[in-house]
Amino acid sequence: MRSSLGGVWVVFRRELTTVGRTPGYAVLAVGLLVVLGGLVAVGGGGATGFVPAVVDLLLPTEVLVPLLAVVLGYRALYADAASGELAVIRTYPVSAVAYVLGVLLARTVALFALVGGPFALVGAYVWLTAAPDTGIFATHAGVDSPVLFVRFVALVVPFGAAYLSLSAAVSTIATSRRSAVALGVLALLAGILGGDLAVLRSLSAGASPSGIAESIAFTPNGAFRGLVFEHVIGVAFAPEGGFVDTGRAVASLVGWCLLGAAAAVAAVAFGSRVDVAVERLRGRLGR
Amino acid sequence: MAVFDPDTARSRRVRIAAVGFVALAAVATAGAFAADPSESVPEPVRFDDAVELGLSSETDALMAGDATLPRVQVFYSQLQYVVGYNGVGAFVDSRSDGRTERQFGYPLVAYVETFDHRDPGRTDSGLFSATGAGGWTPVGEARYVVGSDARTPAGEVVVPFRDREAAAAFAADHGGSVVGWEAVRTRSFDVDSAATVRSLAPERWRTATGRLAAAEERADRPVSVVVGEDAPTIDAAVAAAPPNTTVRVPPGTYKENVTVNRSVTIAGAGAGGERGDAGATRVVGNGTGSVITVRAPDVALTGMRIAGTGNETRDPEAARESRDPEGEAWDTNIQLGYGHGDAGIKAVGAPGLVVDDVAIDAGASGLLLREGSHATVRELFVDGTDEWQEGFMGITGMESRVTVTDSRFEGGRDGIYLHRADGSVVRNSTFADNRYGTHLMYTGDALVADNAFRNELFAGVTVMTRPAGNAIVGNDVRGSSAGIQASGTRTYVGHNTLVGNELGFSTSARGSLYEHNVVVDNELGARATTVVPSSRVVANDFVGNDDHAAAGAGALRVWADGDRGNYWEGANVGPHDPGSRAYRPTSPVDAALHREAGAVTVRESPAARLLDRLRGTVPGARSGSIVDPAPATEPYHPDRVDAVTGADAGADGPVRTDWRVASDPDGNATATAEGSA
Repeated sequence: MRSSLGGVWVVFRRELTTVGRTPGYAVLAVGLLVVLGGLVAVGGGGATGFVPAVVDLLLPTEVLVPLLAVVLGYRALYADAASGELAVIRTYPVSAVAYVLGVLLARTVALFALVGGPFALVGAYVWLTAAPDTGIFATHAGVDSPVLFVRFVALVVPFGAAYLSLSAAVSTIATSRRSAVALGVLALLAGILGGDLAVLRSLSAGASPSGIAESIAFTPNGAFRGLVFEHVIGVAFAPEGGFVDTGRAVASLVGWCLLGAAAAVAAVAFGSRVDVAVERLRGRLGR
Repeated sequence: MAVFDPDTARSRRVRIAAVGFVALAAVATAGAFAADPSESVPEPVRFDDAVELGLSSETDALMAGDATLPRVQVFYSQLQYVVGYNGVGAFVDSRSDGRTERQFGYPLVAYVETFDHRDPGRTDSGLFSATGAGGWTPVGEARYVVGSDARTPAGEVVVPFRDREAAAAFAADHGGSVVGWEAVRTRSFDVDSAATVRSLAPERWRTATGRLAAAEERADRPVSVVVGEDAPTIDAAVAAAPPNTTVRVPPGTYKENVTVNRSVTIAGAGAGGERGDAGATRVVGNGTGSVITVRAPDVALTGMRIAGTGNETRDPEAARESRDPEGEAWDTNIQLGYGHGDAGIKAVGAPGLVVDDVAIDAGASGLLLREGSHATVRELFVDGTDEWQEGFMGITGMESRVTVTDSRFEGGRDGIYLHRADGSVVRNSTFADNRYGTHLMYTGDALVADNAFRNELFAGVTVMTRPAGNAIVGNDVRGSSAGIQASGTRTYVGHNTLVGNELGFSTSARGSLYEHNVVVDNELGARATTVVPSSRVVANDFVGNDDHAAAGAGALRVWADGDRGNYWEGANVGPHDPGSRAYRPTSPVDAALHREAGAVTVRESPAARLLDRLRGTVPGARSGSIVDPAPATEPYHPDRVDAVTGADAGADGPVRTDWRVASDPDGNATATAEGSA
């Protein structure tokens, strides 16, 4: 046990160093900050409080955070495999589980910094600038509160982590850098559009709308959006809720993270054997 | 990112810091979800600091004496401003149609004013009264007395108490039963709305027609005395004439000041048109005081031209008092001051006055009415001073209801100034070069209809203070600083044509309805002023204004009624389904759509489209702007728009509308949604 934890720690540190030596990631974070800041400044939502700011940020968040996560993840496992470093690492007492966990944890920490930083800055900006137009009348904050923004950011991180984990898993089956990009984009599109399209399709095919709160929770985007409505924006509306099944949505986000990790572990652990099996199959068919 | 060497002290510090940070983030996150922001309940504020909605507290009945209204202050989840309601019914009613909740969110907490130990009772006239200042109690904790014998000017009063015993004591004295908030919340209250005012406007027009007909009948009396034949002067003739007869005044010039102490008709040969031709009867005063002073009921003055008024515009004593820094007596001083100047015709305590075919060259007021001198006025022409500071009002009505038709007011201070003249009607008249055309103070339930206003220095129609139930309909205001600026509550501003002004209209009146106005070629079409939106602005046509609309401080205004919006020139340019894109006259891009084709290119950008989608959610928490979610594809009144922009645009005559047919509940009413605003 001690050695496997040590393995995770070693891989984690190594991976964190790799991320730290890639300045492109910092540029991405700056880009995210520019988009978020611009939306809050031009959209006007940030001028009055956190809830309108979250409303303005929700849609871009749903697109940009997965994008950033995929960028962080699409070569995470492929790069080592392609360069042969993975084969070298596997000669040390580092299990596939430890290796994948170490990489994913390091990348998640990077995601936390790259996504959380810009959001925190935007939140601070709203906190400093949001104020009523006029002081003639008595004012109050309504339900608006920094707590709601903290909730929002706390939901953004597992949402991004799910995409990171999935894109890392997908990257294990990439055979070239180009295919890694293609697979990453595919995972991105499938995640952002696919799940919601599937729900729409099932509804138009006659599925009962009463099941939406549950079915929407299955996709990362649906789960994230539902949780934001339920626990951030919905607070400003009459306390009814029911935008999403909270338990199911949280389980979904955690589940996608674990699924990605498990798939990656499987691919790292058994990938070479599968390759051998595939080659053998191909050889047989060829003959 | 640092390179870690697990064996150095620095690495250990970093590790400890990282663990600390993770722990902190975890605690903060858990805390954020554990805390319920909707549970932090704000404390009540001073009612004067709340933004008032609902019934106005400035009705005559309430301002005099101890009468009061139980008040409510509400903190809405999405609105930064505290909203105050006069009367529990106004708050309950506001929750009935869901519109308030869509705009402001749900009430986080509502406090009601309670009347324990405040000597609650009723005035002689049956209005609810109390003394002292009360505490504020959350609505759910208070007990309420319903069905008691006390009333408010609006009808039933619900009287809140903190203690059940106090409520029971009040119910024992004044009847009614004690109930909890649930019972009050589900009660339906008969709260008048601006839509009620709209439906009453045609009725007010008919009432005015009736008053005018009755006046004509009243003035038609047999001739008893002829000036020049039976008496040397008008004054002597009036003194000699028996009541209910006519004093005939043949053409000519009569240099005298007349006092009328009995109910007679003084009939001249005619005012001689605006310039005064040879066949006119002229009454010329000595340049001080009023030319004709009326102190008897049912006097009629017809067919004469009046000149030689004094130029004292008000009582200098009272005017001095009104500078009293206390300000308490302002209203009284205005009445004293404004009601005591010189005039062509001055009526004091003279109800039933009839003025018909009279022209006045006014150094101060033309017609001054005081102390219940309810008057009907037809074909009055007042030629005021060239500089408004030197003269006074065409008609000054103090606590005197006027009915004016087919008259003309040029120059001077205000065309018609009414102070506590509820139920007045001003119609079919022309106003030019005044300070304000028609100016109402503390005057409610009035009708200002089908008038033309030209080149007014401050505004065509202005309503100050906070009266209720005025209808401003079918007027045509051009070339003025402002078209219509009406404050107050439950005001109906409809079917007006506002062209070439600096400002078309402002939405200062609360809980009001602004519809079917044609707003063309103004520098600014409309200005949203009240901080908390409570009015409906729908089915207006905005064409050719430099800016269609602007908004002052406050929550987002949604100018539409369901899926029915306003017509904004330029709103539908660009490649999209007409009417499908929300229009925001306060956004710099949308505001330029009708002037700059390039604005379309910006508007179709993904960024602009994305932002478009976001406006309108949590409206109460957004500020300083106007959105019309469903802009109309065609003008609602193309005929009126054509009339002021087309080939005949130079014509000076007012644009006529069919509002009496459109607004009449009995007629073919237009498909305008009903309900309170």
